[in-house]
Amino acid sequence: MTAHDWYTENRAGFVARSLEPDEERTFRDHLARCEECRREVEALERELGWLPMAVRPAAPAPGFARRTAAEVLDRRSRWRRRFPLAAAAVLALAAGTAAFGARREGRELRVQLVRNEVRLAALQDTLSVLRRANNVLQTRISMGGHQGGMLIFQDAASHRWCVIVHGLPPAPVGSKYQFWFITESGMVRSVEVNADPSRPAIMTLPMPGVRAPVMGAALTMEPMRNRSDEPEGVTLAHLVF
Amino acid sequence: MSRQLSLSPDPDSGAPPTPEGGGRRPLGLARESTLRRRLMARDEQALVELIELASPWLLGLVQSMLRDQDEAEEVVLEVFATAWDRVGTLGDEHDALLPWLLRIARNRAIDRLRRRRRWRLKLDRAKAFGEVSADRVGPREVNEAAQPGWHVHETVHAALARLPADQREVVRLAYFEGLTHSEIARRLDLPMGTVKTRLRLAFDKLRVTLGSIKDWIA
Repeated sequence: MTAHDWYTENRAGFVARSLEPDEERTFRDHLARCEECRREVEALERELGWLPMAVRPAAPAPGFARRTAAEVLDRRSRWRRRFPLAAAAVLALAAGTAAFGARREGRELRVQLVRNEVRLAALQDTLSVLRRANNVLQTRISMGGHQGGMLIFQDAASHRWCVIVHGLPPAPVGSKYQFWFITESGMVRSVEVNADPSRPAIMTLPMPGVRAPVMGAALTMEPMRNRSDEPEGVTLAHLVF
Repeated sequence: MSRQLSLSPDPDSGAPPTPEGGGRRPLGLARESTLRRRLMARDEQALVELIELASPWLLGLVQSMLRDQDEAEEVVLEVFATAWDRVGTLGDEHDALLPWLLRIARNRAIDRLRRRRRWRLKLDRAKAFGEVSADRVGPREVNEAAQPGWHVHETVHAALARLPADQREVVRLAYFEGLTHSEIARRLDLPMGTVKTRLRLAFDKLRVTLGSIKDWIA
């Protein structure tokens, strides 16, 4: 699971405009820097463009077309009278920007730019969770002579957590680190954590699809064979908000 | 300011603004293409023609969402003002005129709904105007089968009817009532993840059916 998965899952919600206002702002910011999401959202909007026609038409009042056209044209001419200098300034700025953009052509430069934009977008997605986190929890974990820990940033607006596990040795053969959500109705299995003492494991996770509120999280050392919905192994960390 | 705007058919369009019968006409795409060119050339008569063709659908949509006829007319006026200013930004023939206008109208209607919800007026208006339905007929009688675009309405309606009832309900609340995921989850007593999944599955099905529609002026 990556930070980008949240955007992938919420493309339909963005097009329907059913995201919460702060989620919508987050998604719109992301669109400005993610070509893939922009393309997918545009395709979805285009393909669903006829959906509003499920609603039956309503007859306009007599003279509606004439009145509306006159008002539209009148607004336009008012704008033209009032803002000629502003229009000229905007045109000059657009022309300047276009000229500047034209000079920056060059295949290698563009390829490098795209690569950097992708990397930057991924970093910004992760950072957006960290920056907006309204709850931060941390705990220390001792494991096989290593001193590590687990850090959780909870972003309530986008319903995502950024979980960082650091300083832990790789799991022993036949075992694995398992991350769990603690909910009011019990533990809910989340992702397996690949620990490496030389670099932190950073995961961005959506909330589990259960109705019970999430109260916290746990990290356990599980036997590799355990695929059940209940932890069987040793609890390494137990954090409750 | 008064302007002389004729409501008679445009001689280049190949068809009158309002058809006499409900049958499909083969000139729909060509007519739309001509209309777009004329709008881009700032042909004021083309604006009138567009308003005549599209306003029944825009009013139907916005009235069904806002449940207020006067406010719906304000929104539709804003939509045409925006369209007149921005028609040059419309892309190729893949971006059909009517879906573009409908998208602007729906976004404006949702903005107003949310503003209104903040003022806690929605409940009063809903009581005054009755239950919402995607099938609701507008307040004035309209000869529906003769309406340009009626065949698209039937296609979209059939596509919605083929959805499982639980997915259709989520589409109705999200798309036609402007509710957010959390509001839908509360109203239907469902986990938010289920709401998102149903909406996504419904859209995946709808985009297959609706993506092939091109010709609406028929």
